Amino acid sequence: MDNLIVNNIRQRPLRALISVAGVALGVALVMLFTGLSRGMSNDLQRRSANLRAEIIFTRQGGMELTSSTANLSTKYAEELGKVDGVESVLPVIRYPFQSGRGFGFEMIEGVDWEGYAAMNGVALVDGRAPAAADEIVIDETKAQNNGKGVGGTLEIFGGKPYRIVGVYAPESGARVKMSLAALQDALESPGKCTYILVKCKDGFTPEAVAGAIEAAPATQGNKIQLTRDVVTNIEKSIPYLGVFLRALVGLSAIVSGLVVMLAMYTTITERTREIGVLKALGASRGYIVGIIEQEALVISLLGLVVGFAVSLAAGFLIHRAYGLLFDYGWRWALVAAAIGVGGGLLGALYPAMRAASLDAVTALSYE
Amino acid sequence: MKTILQAENLAKVYRVGSVDVHALRGVSLGVEEGEFLAIMGPSGCGKSTLLHLMGGLLTPTSGRISLDGEDMTAASDARRTDIRRRKIGFVFQRFNLFPTLTADGNLRLAERIHTGGRGAGSKDGEERRREVLSLLKLEDKLHHKPLEMSGGEQQRVALARAVVNQPAIILADEPTGNLDTENSAIVLNMFQEMNYRFNQTIVMITHNPEAAAMCRRIVQMRDGQIVAPSTGVQL
Repeated sequence: MDNLIVNNIRQRPLRALISVAGVALGVALVMLFTGLSRGMSNDLQRRSANLRAEIIFTRQGGMELTSSTANLSTKYAEELGKVDGVESVLPVIRYPFQSGRGFGFEMIEGVDWEGYAAMNGVALVDGRAPAAADEIVIDETKAQNNGKGVGGTLEIFGGKPYRIVGVYAPESGARVKMSLAALQDALESPGKCTYILVKCKDGFTPEAVAGAIEAAPATQGNKIQLTRDVVTNIEKSIPYLGVFLRALVGLSAIVSGLVVMLAMYTTITERTREIGVLKALGASRGYIVGIIEQEALVISLLGLVVGFAVSLAAGFLIHRAYGLLFDYGWRWALVAAAIGVGGGLLGALYPAMRAASLDAVTALSYE
Repeated sequence: MKTILQAENLAKVYRVGSVDVHALRGVSLGVEEGEFLAIMGPSGCGKSTLLHLMGGLLTPTSGRISLDGEDMTAASDARRTDIRRRKIGFVFQRFNLFPTLTADGNLRLAERIHTGGRGAGSKDGEERRREVLSLLKLEDKLHHKPLEMSGGEQQRVALARAVVNQPAIILADEPTGNLDTENSAIVLNMFQEMNYRFNQTIVMITHNPEAAAMCRRIVQMRDGQIVAPSTGVQL
């Protein structure tokens, strides 16, 4: 291909490669972080959405995204059951534990299995319900990701192995469940739970039932949330996640821009004489800026392709190794593309302007 | 005969540190259409400065210069660039071809700049490029890059690049300075052929008396001035 821009890139393959890698790094950073954020958030939302109970009753601060305490008395279940419009109630104790693979944490829930399964429409696809203190059930996704099944074990508290006695579907709430009594015992919290699921009777709206609970003297002073609000607020509940993502986007743009700027600056210095020749041939400032920007555009587009490919491959490998979930959205892909191309073009602008304003005679005599 | 280039009392002073260096001291020169003019003189006499002023790469400290009826004296950088694009072809001592492009690619780049991208790659342009390369006996070098050609061939490509857009004037800065005797003769013959066959106006700076002898007129410079003769002498 007899093209000045393409040939210039091919003339210095290592420099072009570094520039492409710089842009790709920025793109991949945006894609991976936002993909991970979306993936984990969507996973939580999907599992939470499978809860059929319309109301979650808990104490203030008893249940956060990354922590839980068993500070709610199970006796509230009895009182909630008396409220008009409530069909059934179910105490759940939830606790975070360090996952056996890689980093991060998981949640385990202690429930009365029969009640939980009936309320939320889940069923065992293999094995039986947990009964003894060291027995657990896991959902199909966890069984598949961990390569575990009935008869296997998971280390949950202090490296102690817990026997998998059942696998259930669909995914709902925490992926690991044990009996309420077993988890209360493990946490030394007899008679306590983290929250109580409330299922409404047909013909009663969740808002009306929530209002009735709030008005009931025996249940006052606690937190009443609609399940659908919890689902939509998961992303918002991670403190400063939005700020972090925006900062990351900015940093990525700076990385892409700086790498391209350095590469193009070196290019301009190396090609000073050629720029002098272009000026002697009558090339305008706009033309010179144009060819340098076009070179940056080609590099940025290559960086985009590599960046997207790296994101997909890295997401797949991380998922395989650590079980983390990635969900790439079009919106963030467009943002990453804008950052890659915009950063590259902006980074090349200063060297391009500098080249365009070079003195022709000085440039022609450049050694 | 039409005057293509007119310089009147040109002076150029460079400031070097706190010292003023007078590169040109009142140079007046007219170049007629179809002339093949040699400018000779020792190093530092102001030949290159004069050529750069003629090409609009520099502006004079005082005096006036016009090319093909367009005043370049007070023209902006953009305006002088535009005049260069439309009316001037440069040939340099070190060829200054783009090393990543083939001979044809170098000509196409010049054509693209000349046309401002409009009509670049047209059939007319392709025919003209082939005609020029054929005239300069470079047909077989069409797809060769500069490093795959001899110095003489590279300078012929540079000459082809200068003439491909049919400029009003060619400004050549020591075009044989980097060539051996044989290639110098070939390149100078090509210059002469362009001048005779197409009435191409050429101004050439040279140290080489044999090269200057092939021109129709010679001006001698010394200490920033033309010392002999500035007009009228035909060889």
